[in-house]
Amino acid sequence: MFTKILFATSGSPCCDAAARVAFDLAARYNAKLFVYHVLGVPSRGFSQVVVDVRTGEKVELDEDYTLWVKDELKNTYDRQMKGGVECEIDTAVGIPHREVLRKARQEDVDLIVMGASTTGCEADADAYQRHFAGSTLQRVAKASKAPVLVVNRPVASFWGGFTNIVFGADFSKASEHAFKFALKTARELNAQLHVFHAIDIGSTHSLISQKELDDKMIEARDRMRRKYLIQTGDFKNVSADIWEGIPYVEIVKYAREKQADLIIMAHHSKDVGDEESAFGHTLEQVLLRATCPVASVNRPDKIQNM
Amino acid sequence: MPEGKLCNKKPVATREDLDALLADSNGRQYYAEMEQLDVDAEKLWATIQKTMKSRTKTWLDICAHCGLCADSCFLYSVNERDPKQVPSYKIQSTLGEIVKKKGNVSNEFMRMCMDTAWSKCTCCNRCGSFCPYGIDMGVMFGYLRGLLNSQGFVPWELKIGSGMHRLFRAQMDVTVEEFVDTCEWMVDEALEEWPCLEIPIDKEDADIVYMINAREAKHYPEDIVEAAILFHVAGENWTMPSEGWEMTSLSMFAGDWEACKMQVETVYGAMERLRPKRMVATECGHAYRATVIEGPYWAGRPDGQPPVECIHYVEWVAEALELGKLKIDPAKKIKEPVTVQDSCNYVRNAGLRDCTRIIMKHIAEDFREMAPNKEHNYCCGGGGGFNGIGRYRKQRNIALKMKREQILATGAKFVIAPCHNCWDAIRDLEEEYEIGIRWSFLKPLLIKMLEVPEHLLPQE
Repeated sequence: MFTKILFATSGSPCCDAAARVAFDLAARYNAKLFVYHVLGVPSRGFSQVVVDVRTGEKVELDEDYTLWVKDELKNTYDRQMKGGVECEIDTAVGIPHREVLRKARQEDVDLIVMGASTTGCEADADAYQRHFAGSTLQRVAKASKAPVLVVNRPVASFWGGFTNIVFGADFSKASEHAFKFALKTARELNAQLHVFHAIDIGSTHSLISQKELDDKMIEARDRMRRKYLIQTGDFKNVSADIWEGIPYVEIVKYAREKQADLIIMAHHSKDVGDEESAFGHTLEQVLLRATCPVASVNRPDKIQNM
Repeated sequence: MPEGKLCNKKPVATREDLDALLADSNGRQYYAEMEQLDVDAEKLWATIQKTMKSRTKTWLDICAHCGLCADSCFLYSVNERDPKQVPSYKIQSTLGEIVKKKGNVSNEFMRMCMDTAWSKCTCCNRCGSFCPYGIDMGVMFGYLRGLLNSQGFVPWELKIGSGMHRLFRAQMDVTVEEFVDTCEWMVDEALEEWPCLEIPIDKEDADIVYMINAREAKHYPEDIVEAAILFHVAGENWTMPSEGWEMTSLSMFAGDWEACKMQVETVYGAMERLRPKRMVATECGHAYRATVIEGPYWAGRPDGQPPVECIHYVEWVAEALELGKLKIDPAKKIKEPVTVQDSCNYVRNAGLRDCTRIIMKHIAEDFREMAPNKEHNYCCGGGGGFNGIGRYRKQRNIALKMKREQILATGAKFVIAPCHNCWDAIRDLEEEYEIGIRWSFLKPLLIKMLEVPEHLLPQE
């Protein structure tokens, strides 16, 4: 399923859970793992200064520092690297999301694994401060050709042990690709696939008539069948549900109820750079709130040959 | 020790030279070597005799030391009106002395000149418009930088910068292949949202050739695709050259005249090769100055003009909005108070003051002018290479205070800065002083506000 995996890490503890999943996956699929760290945003002509992820202090960016960071990464993931995974450590200077995407393109990876985006990751906070609005994660998820697996919290089960996968359907073009990925993953892992859609009732203060809601429900059921369920073929471990509410809340609640090990969604926000929507849209909210890993898919490229 | 290994009178000629400089973090060895560097007085005087024109001579002679330039200089104001920051003093005590002494000056003196030329003047040319004689200290400092550079007294970063131009014809190490690949990559990323979008490379006889700042290709390639989207929506017949796309000139900041010529000739070469009707320059101030204002003289063009008509990005946007090529959705106009930074290089030095006002009329509901503004505006605080020199970081941060006060006085929390240098300075200003502002180039803002014709939208 995966032959090359890019693990984009800040090297700090907030990426530990992601590291575990990344190494796990690489071992399971015998994939090559790229451990990749973006040192910081260049801003000082050629005398560049970056904020060290661990100390939060400004340091001069030179060869010694780069070598030291690589060494530190090696130490951090030493135990996992000894597990026999083919692994390459590399660093870059630049705007984090851009450099992660550049590396993914260069190496033609099948999957990007990332850690938390907003909690305790100085690298991201720095990028945000510097007005590359929207988190690194959100921007990577939007443009990446490969699925992006985000691990925000320590996971209960390993990739191989996943038994419940929730697919958050929104009927967009991107969500068709996401569904293909969800189906493939569920087949591969012999997991239960829960196809889920939440009808957006807007804010709780705007009243929506029950008739309108019922109509929407019928329409959504129909679309769900035609768009996704029809593709499942001989794969029988599929269920489907439609709830109403605020989409991100419903998805997170649903995932909890189904004891999901993985949520798969499409990323189709158009307004990545928007200040207000920077952390506001459904995917970002699910990423922050879900207790299990979340995979975001926006493009078909890497799903086709998986 | 006459010539250092890193600090010497020779410009960067090879990749090895460049790598050796880059490996010397913050130029520690470089500046240590500079303290031992010999001044070749004979050569310096010969250079002056060959290159110092009558205007500079006259300016040095007729300055009446009246001090009227003092208050025009933002560096004088923010440095507690230090008499040593009076423009006429700054130039008389450096270039004036070198000329008076016929080049017989010490190493220590040359280092003082370097510190003055790069940390006490951003070549913003504001003093020139207040001097009763029209003496422009900024122009003279540009000249002094050239003299200092020819003797090896140039800040470490700028020696690297002009070295980059010499080797890559760009201020950063971006090759032709990398540039073309980056354009393809960016289109690939945007195609889903913008079907049929393209960045036509090396198209001959287009209406527009678009040229940029190498930083965009290296670190912020979104900027290139944003330009592509805007040309696409405006229905322009445009192209970018695979070679000669870089119009900035760190060599101009460095005073490396030879590299200035090399760089601008590459740019003009692209214009001559592709024969566009016009060149549109990205949102960068010094790039415009280098390519459009100074470049023709570096390249020795007899008419003092570049090969084709050149316009700045703000000119193109103002024109596209006025002609209706780009339409703004009135509901998406900027509602909060917003102000604009006038870049010295294309406003004071090229007269483009009205363009951004036309643009603001279209995109902002509450546009606030800074005071002073337009051709009287102050430098962002980081111009002329100031932003990029680690040695003068402290002085640069003090220099940002003027812009901080100007922005605060407008009451706006949002600053539009259609110039890379200004954009950087304002970003650093927020980092340094935390006044709670946001800042942006025009391109991403415009894209968010556009009324996009139906046929250009993706079909879902």
